[in-house]
Amino acid sequence: MFSEAIKVFSIVILNTILAFNICAYGEADFLDIQMTPVTYDEWETRRIQYQPKIVVVDMWATWCVSCIERFPEMVRLHEQYKDHNVQFVSMNLDDREDTQSIDVAEQFLKKMNAKFDHFRMDENLLVAFEKIDLIGIPAVLIYDENGNEKYRLSGDNPSKQFTDADVEAALLELL
Amino acid sequence: MRMIARLILFGFFLSFTNFAIAGKYNSILSIGDTMPEFNKLPSISGENISSKDLNEEVLVFVSLANHCPWVKGMDKDLVSLVDSLSTKNVRFIGLSMNHRDDDRLPAMKVHAEKVGYRFDYLFDESQEFGRKLGATRTPEYFVFNKERKLVYTGALYDSPAKMNNDGTVKHINGRPSQFYVQAAILATLDGNEVVTKETRAHGCTVKYVQ
Repeated sequence: MFSEAIKVFSIVILNTILAFNICAYGEADFLDIQMTPVTYDEWETRRIQYQPKIVVVDMWATWCVSCIERFPEMVRLHEQYKDHNVQFVSMNLDDREDTQSIDVAEQFLKKMNAKFDHFRMDENLLVAFEKIDLIGIPAVLIYDENGNEKYRLSGDNPSKQFTDADVEAALLELL
Repeated sequence: MRMIARLILFGFFLSFTNFAIAGKYNSILSIGDTMPEFNKLPSISGENISSKDLNEEVLVFVSLANHCPWVKGMDKDLVSLVDSLSTKNVRFIGLSMNHRDDDRLPAMKVHAEKVGYRFDYLFDESQEFGRKLGATRTPEYFVFNKERKLVYTGALYDSPAKMNNDGTVKHINGRPSQFYVQAAILATLDGNEVVTKETRAHGCTVKYVQ
């Protein structure tokens, strides 16, 4: 009886250690990517908590082809500058009621192996755009170490649409 | 004297209010601005269309992109609107500006036939007209009156629709209740002022060559 209990206890401990190891290394980062739902006000609170880091926010959605096309550059920038005083964040703007798209979005982030913080806007989609004061996406918002918005890179002006180089240049300006 | 001063102040306030509203969602054009010209843009019909060829009382331009789920989501409603106004002196013109293969002329012809566009659908490869309109979203509407002044710009209605991969269509806020483009056209044809002049066009981004 006692030896059975010891055996069960040992199995539990071994499984716990194994699970911990999976979570601690490589594959775990890949598996654990999830988007945290936030209202606009909650997002503003979370954003301020990143201070005194510079915050780079990539606004995207699965329906936005340009967003999908430029996302690998965001991952590259994160890999290059992750040891600097900067926090990379993605903010998903799929319809919060569209669970299928939200699943697709999380699968995409996993596929991208995007190891930074991911949020999704838990607001009515049109309200979300109003509150962020954005006309469209892709857009990259960059905040300085005091939480002030320093760059708003978007496609809202036909003659001033941003490029990948613009994002890196803006970041380097603040670092 | 005091009354006159008040009226002047009130007028100043009103003009400032109008100024603040116009161009809220468009960095180039404001309500009341003159329609930009364009020259010989190729249509899916095989013709080349210029702005000087357009004689209708009301002109409606809509920026489109075949690949965009927000365009696909409202295609049916656009076709219905065009059909419902077929006896009126109004002309719809679709515009495609993106350089993606699936947004170019051959694909535009296929898309127009598939969804039933019965209007000219032009390819603005130079993107010059799109830039002059300040068109940054698809779909995004621009309604001009007979003096060719902008009287409305923005969304088709108050609940944009997206087509999912399985072909289903979902409106963000359920069935639309305010039909901005239709209201703007009818008001303009009747010689009335458009009530809602500008709304936020929700959709995909037009990709301009920088």
